[in-house]
Amino acid sequence: MAGIGARLPLEGIRVLDFTWVVAGPVATRILADHGAEVIKLERKPGPLGSRQTGLQGDLHRGKRSIAVNMGTSRGVEIARRLAEISDIVIDNFSARVMRSWGMDFAALSQLKPDIICLSMSGLGHTGPRSNYVSYGPTLQALAGFTLLMADRKGEPAGYGYSYADMSGGYTGALAALMALWHRRRTGRGQFVDLSQFEAVVSVIGPALLDISVNNRVQPAPGYRSQELPAAPHGVYRCRPRGDDDDRWIAIAARSQAQWEGFVRAIESPPWTSDAKFRTLYLRMCNSVELDAHVARWAADQVAESAMARLQQAGVAAGVVANGADICAHDSQLQARNFWGSVPLPDGTTTHVTGIPMRLSATPGAIRTPAPVIGEANDYVLGELLGMSRAERDALIAEKAVWP
Amino acid sequence: MDNLTISASGTGRERSCDLSGGGALSGLRVLDLSNYRGQLCGRLLADMGADVIKVEPPGGDEARRIGPFADDLPHRDRSLFFWFYNLNKRSLTLDLRHPRGIELLLQLARGADLVIESFAPGTMSSMGLGWEALHAANPALILLSIAPFGQDGPYRDFDADDTVLAALGGMLYVNGWPGNAPVRPWGLQAYHSSAYYAAVATMCALFARDRDGAGQWIDLSMQEATAAAVEHVAGSYFGEGRVEPRRGTLHWSRYFRVGKCRDGYIMHCSLGDWTSLIQWVASDGKAQDLIAPEWQDVQYRAVHAEHLFDVLDNWVADYDRDELLERAQTLRLPYATVRNPEALFDDEQLQARGYFVEVEHPELGRKFRYPGAPYVFNAVYRRPPLTGEHTGEILRDELGLDAGELAALAAEGII
Repeated sequence: MAGIGARLPLEGIRVLDFTWVVAGPVATRILADHGAEVIKLERKPGPLGSRQTGLQGDLHRGKRSIAVNMGTSRGVEIARRLAEISDIVIDNFSARVMRSWGMDFAALSQLKPDIICLSMSGLGHTGPRSNYVSYGPTLQALAGFTLLMADRKGEPAGYGYSYADMSGGYTGALAALMALWHRRRTGRGQFVDLSQFEAVVSVIGPALLDISVNNRVQPAPGYRSQELPAAPHGVYRCRPRGDDDDRWIAIAARSQAQWEGFVRAIESPPWTSDAKFRTLYLRMCNSVELDAHVARWAADQVAESAMARLQQAGVAAGVVANGADICAHDSQLQARNFWGSVPLPDGTTTHVTGIPMRLSATPGAIRTPAPVIGEANDYVLGELLGMSRAERDALIAEKAVWP
Repeated sequence: MDNLTISASGTGRERSCDLSGGGALSGLRVLDLSNYRGQLCGRLLADMGADVIKVEPPGGDEARRIGPFADDLPHRDRSLFFWFYNLNKRSLTLDLRHPRGIELLLQLARGADLVIESFAPGTMSSMGLGWEALHAANPALILLSIAPFGQDGPYRDFDADDTVLAALGGMLYVNGWPGNAPVRPWGLQAYHSSAYYAAVATMCALFARDRDGAGQWIDLSMQEATAAAVEHVAGSYFGEGRVEPRRGTLHWSRYFRVGKCRDGYIMHCSLGDWTSLIQWVASDGKAQDLIAPEWQDVQYRAVHAEHLFDVLDNWVADYDRDELLERAQTLRLPYATVRNPEALFDDEQLQARGYFVEVEHPELGRKFRYPGAPYVFNAVYRRPPLTGEHTGEILRDELGLDAGELAALAAEGII
């Protein structure tokens, strides 16, 4: 990663982070990557395995952690004192949790008038379903997004993962920064009520407008282009690699020039001069037949070489990359040093997802591995809150803080 | 800023406000040169009060040719695809192939905070609008370049659409049934993921500029943004050396799978209070072996997810899905219905929160409900601009061009 040593853009911003699971930590991870001091306020760990590698390592890198028992009044007091010296408090609980601790915006703004509170709850703080329990996969189901991932028979065929946690996390980071920006301009804090449900509803925006304007419900589109029209447009199975027969290539030929490039790249078999494929309009009308021809061609190709050949001819094409492809073999991601690495305390190194935005003067940086829970107890209680060793020991004895 | 059409359609919390109150980003000036690949970023900023000027070629942006269209009448001012992504922006038509067009753009850049572009790498420079030229015109300006593979590297000049990016970013491979073709997410989610990162990058650059005084150039790779948006793939590979397969509707964590009720699909979830769930299932006589104590262990449930969900599928088959959902939520079980998108317009939760906003299209004499912003802030809504709608006012108010000059530019086809 570039930027080690450069000043990070969000230096000086302190985030008190109550978030857990995925969406909230994605939001605060983005803030931490760009220099905010993110202090996770956490419970004593259960047996959850390592937090420093894999997805957990990705989610929590660059953050600090303090283990506070919010079931005790002294624990809550520590949290409130931390809020007082923070710029923004972020949680992803339902409304009643922060309120029960006296940590909601109304209470915290008494302590610190320009505090920003960002709540990233599942369905928002208001409305009849604000108390629904939810996770990313259930929110994308409620949003209609799951059903739109249908196979050819119209049956649900996914999701394999939670996109809702990503859309929720990204909008959370954006909302935090916009509220901080607003405060910088006006001196005013505010409460931001983010609904992760609404965030994932928003990702199907154009389909919703088709319903509201035309009263039409779009079917799952398969591989029909949803942007500029294209044909061929789809994924085609390629030649097995060793015993891996799950190799595919995605192809999108939009313009006539791209079609001509495609024909050239596949060495002009006779079917390509058939009149029914002469124009884009005709290729779209005859796309079933066209796809069958392309599939027969692709079955004999190595996905990587086919991609290179098609791209050389100006045709948009890409390997349907699996985890090993993107993490270990993709020459573009390698050339741009996309994947990050962090040294772990035990002397090994772990690889993490990189930062897909490069700021030329103040790029983000992956600074430290995910903290062990309670790693920053001494820093937070001692340096930030000015407590003596004896006071800290007393908190541990009272079980307000876990060592 | 006239022609504001503002209203909150819900009865609950007030989500919209008069622009004079100022959105979180009011005062920010954005020149949005991006095409259909990059246009969401500008909307995210415009929703929060930034003045986003969409700079389009005379005749309109390509995105205006993408359907569906209002009433299925193809027209550059009726593209719903364009409408969704360009709500709250203003439109300036300007021919950037013409030197006078470039000159006017550079003049506008002097008063702007951000330029967004999503041309092929190198295009801006060849037009005389590269980073050096923009930085010389306005050292505080931020340039945001959104490109399929970023501004350098061996794929720099490769072409891609959303599907190709979803393929190369690892988003396609993990969706669909094992053995069958990968299935694509609905919508342009490679572009969307990039737009969120682009907006966040913009905010970071604004904070840096406040401190350091200078603008900078943001290089955003859509392939990287896509790879970062696939929740589990990299973590599994780096953490455990596992190449994540397709699993149909089984979520990779093995705690969620789609099941089928009498009248449609639901999403099972084996997290949450297992005792409550299994008592309920047992009271229906459908628990089979799930009453055994080992199922109390959440990790055991993940390991044996296929069997667990097979038993639960058999259980839910006798329920209507709304009935199941309400009862599950009463027990605080994180179940959900797998709904059709049209159900969202009747969703009481979205209505109560005023998520959908009514936007007036005066030239059509109609109002339409649009998806709003996913957070309660001070959001404002003005309908997407007609082609070149604000060309005159922008060039007059920002650059002081008079009527004669505007007429000359129009006659030459530059605006």
